[in-house]
Amino acid sequence: MVREFKLPDVGEGVAEGEIVSWLVEPGDAVEEDQPVAEVETDKAVVDVPSPVNGSVKEILAEEGEMVPVGNVIITFAVEGEDEDETDTTSQEESTETRTDTATETGPDAGTADEASAETDQDGEMSTADGRVFAAPSARRLAREQGVDITTVEGSGPGGRVSDHDVRAAAESGASGAGGAGGDDGTSGDEVTSAVSDVSGEAGTAGESGGAAASGASAAQASAPSGANRDRTLAAPATRQLAEEAGVDIDDVPTDEERDGEAFVAPEAVEAYAEAQQEAQAADTAAVAAGEAGAQEERIPYRGMRRTIGQQMEASKFTAPHVTHHDEVDVTELVETRGELKEVAAERGISLSYMPFVMKACVAALREFPMVNAMLDEESEEIVQKKYYNVGVATATDAGLMVPVVDDAGNKTLLGLASEMNELVEKARERSIAREEMQGGTFTITNVGAIGGEYATPIVNHPEVAILALGAIKEKPRVVDGEVVPRHVMTVSLSFDHRVLDGAIAAQFTNKVEEYLEHPNRLLLE
Amino acid sequence: MVVGDVTTGTDVLIIGAGPGGYVAAIRAGQLDLDVTLVEKEAYGGTCLNHGCIPSKALISATDVAHDASEAEAMGIHADPAVDLSAMVGWKDEIVDQLTGGVEKLCKANGVNLVEGRAEFAGENTVRVAHSGEGQGSESIEFEHAIVATGSRPIEVPNFEFDGEHIISSRDALALDEVPESLVVVGAGYIGMELSTVFAKLGTDVTIVEMLDSALPAYEDDVARVVKSRAEEFGIDFHFGEAASEWEESGGGITVMTENEDGEIAEFGAEKALVAVGREPVTDTLNLDAVGLEPSEGGFLDTDDRARTDVEHVFAVGDVAGEPMLAHKGMKEGEVATEVIAGEPAALDYQSVPAAVFTDPEIGTVGMTESEAEEAGFSPVVGEMPMQASGRALTLGESEGFVRVVADDDAGFILGAQIVAPEASEMIAEFGLAIEMGATLEDVAATIHTHPTLGEAVMEAVENAQGKAIHTLNR
Repeated sequence: MVREFKLPDVGEGVAEGEIVSWLVEPGDAVEEDQPVAEVETDKAVVDVPSPVNGSVKEILAEEGEMVPVGNVIITFAVEGEDEDETDTTSQEESTETRTDTATETGPDAGTADEASAETDQDGEMSTADGRVFAAPSARRLAREQGVDITTVEGSGPGGRVSDHDVRAAAESGASGAGGAGGDDGTSGDEVTSAVSDVSGEAGTAGESGGAAASGASAAQASAPSGANRDRTLAAPATRQLAEEAGVDIDDVPTDEERDGEAFVAPEAVEAYAEAQQEAQAADTAAVAAGEAGAQEERIPYRGMRRTIGQQMEASKFTAPHVTHHDEVDVTELVETRGELKEVAAERGISLSYMPFVMKACVAALREFPMVNAMLDEESEEIVQKKYYNVGVATATDAGLMVPVVDDAGNKTLLGLASEMNELVEKARERSIAREEMQGGTFTITNVGAIGGEYATPIVNHPEVAILALGAIKEKPRVVDGEVVPRHVMTVSLSFDHRVLDGAIAAQFTNKVEEYLEHPNRLLLE
Repeated sequence: MVVGDVTTGTDVLIIGAGPGGYVAAIRAGQLDLDVTLVEKEAYGGTCLNHGCIPSKALISATDVAHDASEAEAMGIHADPAVDLSAMVGWKDEIVDQLTGGVEKLCKANGVNLVEGRAEFAGENTVRVAHSGEGQGSESIEFEHAIVATGSRPIEVPNFEFDGEHIISSRDALALDEVPESLVVVGAGYIGMELSTVFAKLGTDVTIVEMLDSALPAYEDDVARVVKSRAEEFGIDFHFGEAASEWEESGGGITVMTENEDGEIAEFGAEKALVAVGREPVTDTLNLDAVGLEPSEGGFLDTDDRARTDVEHVFAVGDVAGEPMLAHKGMKEGEVATEVIAGEPAALDYQSVPAAVFTDPEIGTVGMTESEAEEAGFSPVVGEMPMQASGRALTLGESEGFVRVVADDDAGFILGAQIVAPEASEMIAEFGLAIEMGATLEDVAATIHTHPTLGEAVMEAVENAQGKAIHTLNR
């Protein structure tokens, strides 16, 4: 017997994961709990274990493919159960089925290799108006089990579907409509259902298309042909679903009818949308492989890049941003740092400007606690933090990361330098733990390290302010009535205007500047 | 938010305490959801207060009087006197008992009851205006909303309800005197039910109907039995006549109608009862604020989870579309709440039964023969005339029939039409049969009590199988 394995919820509410690598191949023997794949979510790489003792039958997702939680990614032949017999039957019957539907389904049907059309052959499942005869209790059970009752072969009089039939279908994995809906359709049993649905009806490529596309490798998939009807019946929520998925409801293949008109269920929309997406992914892969030349390169928006994007989006669209810009004369700071740098180096510590800025910020935060706060939107409270965990935005090869130096208010300059250096290094090596990037109360980003003067940093939500440092440049300044060259640094403070007003932001910035202009005052902090 | 509003929060906000709304609320309470039910008028909605229950109370009461006066063949000679005011009072007691019961059940299930008229003020907010001057308003924030605002009678142009000359079904159920004469505009089920009530009470009833038959929603032979019986009560039918205007005349009114050829006819009566149908109440809800737009008929489109186009807003009952029947709304209310609670509920019933409380009653469920054909089945039909029912004869009501429609291939029962005494009760068996996927054989092999009207169900099924004992097989 074939056992499907769906990508489980690997934790923390993630909706999908990337198959980083397969650790097994079709035909490999596996034991229960043996890792079979590595899956990366936006936060971690986890092992996916085999649920059974047996062998790998089919791998249904490519390495590098993003797979929604609940999609079947691999099937196993379960130890001690007769696999061959099932397969033989499936092959024979699928041949007949494909013949029937080839003109409608095109190449997609060809991937339904595992299909068995048993239910279709005797025709008992398809009643005149697509109605399934079953008791309400059996219908509810089907919903509970995530089984599409229209795909269940009834063993009762005239093909009536009983509880037992539903349970048997659930155990064999013949779902199709419940819950994850069109995310399935990849195992032998499921393809059976899909194929049996399409046979004998015109314009019904989609179900098998959906099954096929997820069953085939992405590179081989092609866009399933749309049904292209003039009119389609569907529930409002289904139409909305189609709209959201970017598919035309009239193109969604279906074999269901209501009042003589084609009727599309949400599962069909999901299956079709998924098939389209996978086909597009295949096209993308083909383009990337050079088929269309090197005019464009498409890079998957995933992992770190997407996490950064989501965080930015959440911040930008949640907190009304205002940025306050200023310049600060850091001539004294340059001198001080120059002196201390050598002392620090003797102690094996690289001393940049950042620890000075951190210390200046902490001193200013003590004076303006509202800047060291967050907005608890749910309870509608502003939470002022009495501790100072300062994040330092760090550019890495993988993207922007923000290690957090905890309790910066109680650390010495060298202590801050040492800890920050260590965290930044870990971030660049991607060996940093998630916990080391959490719990910040204020963030500093050094945009000037690469060049540039002003920027509009995005607040590291749910913090309420972020300070961006520009490059330190020599600029002419008037000192005691004379124009002299001075070291000048630009600063940009972005803040959440829901919590902070411009006056406080400016006052806070002034205070930071005061410490940076006169770094010896930091001795008092 | 209006300054001075008090804002509260709830998991599930239900607007309307009719059958759809109160059932949803009670189920929500059972599922431990925090639920708030807003009602502007009276618990129980149209059904309990102005529709099903009061009309059936009066139908039963008038049947008692009428049957007694018509029972000479049984050796009973009676001339009952009807005190309509007392009858309406008795009806009101029943209504009070039931509406009070609904309120108690809601409270017992932890439902927060709020009186007032609710309208949406945002995607997750309603504002409830309390009735009465100076009663103020309050805002309620919700996670999910269930719209269950029901329906109201449709007015015919030039026939605005005034409660005196032009009355609605609701007014008719509250009259304290039997009108001498009544023009009923509309021969649908409400017009037919109320016409029968007043005809039995001695009112001279004239029905004007724009279409060319009574009960146009039902098959000809079903409607014919009821119309024929109505004529026996003295009801005068005029088809193809559209009510156009009216005027006061003498102590009563004259209703003018116009036919297809533009010819005018006049019908005099004490009052006119306008019963041409009902329309959903969605125009008072400020649906824009929640991002909803009603369909052309004013309904809210819903999916098989009773969910509207807006993810967190559900609609049940009359506002969710035809058929406008209390029991459909009740089921929708249950499903909407269960979906909100995360249960795998769905509106996947195969049929919605319907009943008309005329004399004789009509009960229907599922497909007619022609509908089954259109759906692609090979229908087989079985009938049992009530004249062959021993129990119907002993009741002195032997008009009508029981008809079953089944799929000839597998014998699955697809529908039934009953026009008979107690058809409203008998139809339930067919409803169960359809939902269970029962075959003709299943029902035929089930022993039915003798002597009952229900035997006719078994006989009709056997007739479809060509095995009927008490009738000639078709």
